[in-house]
Amino acid sequence: MRPLTETEQKTVFEKLANYCTDLKSLIAPLDDGDRYVFRLNHSRVYYVRLSVANLATSVSRDALLSLGTCLGKMTKTGKFRLHITALPILSEHARHKIWVKDNGAQPFLYGSNVVKAHVGRWSEDCPEHSGVVVYSMADIPLGFGVTARSTTEARRLDPTGIVCFRQSDCGEYLRDEDTLFAG
Amino acid sequence: MAPTKTIKNKHAANKSGIKGSKDAERSRNDGVLKSKGKPKSKTHTLVTANKGRPDIKELIARKQKKRKYSEKELAGLIPELNMVTPVGVSKPKGKKKGKVFVDDKESMATILAIVQAEKEGQIESKMIKARQMEEIREARRVEADKKEAERKARLEETKDSLRKKRKRSKQTGGGKGDDDDARDVKNISSAGTNAFKSKKKKSVSFAAE
Repeated sequence: MRPLTETEQKTVFEKLANYCTDLKSLIAPLDDGDRYVFRLNHSRVYYVRLSVANLATSVSRDALLSLGTCLGKMTKTGKFRLHITALPILSEHARHKIWVKDNGAQPFLYGSNVVKAHVGRWSEDCPEHSGVVVYSMADIPLGFGVTARSTTEARRLDPTGIVCFRQSDCGEYLRDEDTLFAG
Repeated sequence: MAPTKTIKNKHAANKSGIKGSKDAERSRNDGVLKSKGKPKSKTHTLVTANKGRPDIKELIARKQKKRKYSEKELAGLIPELNMVTPVGVSKPKGKKKGKVFVDDKESMATILAIVQAEKEGQIESKMIKARQMEEIREARRVEADKKEAERKARLEETKDSLRKKRKRSKQTGGGKGDDDDARDVKNISSAGTNAFKSKKKKSVSFAAE
């Protein structure tokens, strides 16, 4: 387990900035004097309290399966891929949001894109190809994706037209159970 | 030269071991041993070796003098191999080995500020572009609507004018004129304003035998 390098930290922040507005609150000091840091183990990036990270140094790399919140994975080409486990952090500071109706929640959780007919409401002034967090109508975060059309364009779209490309959904906790934390 | 001196050695000179012998005398006189056979050949080989020595030195010197190319020069001279190296993997040359970790608050905050400013700028420009495109589309739609309305108005105008004409002819009287007007209106309504072209009737005639 090690801290991130400059370039790694930059790529992680760039990816997070697609979905979140306020990144400063992520690294802001907590009331008890502690703060959150980023750690890398087995090419997975963890968002963890500094005190916990310091404690985890007593566990060997191979024996350490996970700690804190797993944000995602650094690929071999140096890119960063967000995992569904990062959803609680993304949904807290989401830049753009889409709420899907109850009839659209299941198709989304099974891995399909969001079509216009399933959208209950969406945030205004959302440009195309920007990160968006998908919620159910009861404000429960279901996953995240990338907008296929801007809000104004999506209004003119037919009901079967895709509004949001799925990146990750809560169904992955079951579908990718074997590879989500290791491998 | 060195080899001759070695032969001039005390023991070699007194080869016979007898004082006053021919050999001993000879050696004392000229100091050079004119031996036959083996020693001669020895000297010969040594001479040839002597001749070769400077060559080796030269070779070594030449080897040492060989130009050494720097990394930059080599990169220019040698063609790159057809390798698949992703952009993220290629490491900059001449940089110190090892990783520089970012763990302190300040450096993390600076990176975050840079990234956030960049992203905000990108999103802002995207939004502005989208808005501009939307404006252009709206303007085009308004223009198309306007043209459509104009066309409809013109059509209505021609219709009205034809109706008025018909009324006027009715007031003046004449059954034949009435029929003609009715036909005109029919033609115009079916073929638009290009109704005059369809007035000519086609006819077939047969030659008399």
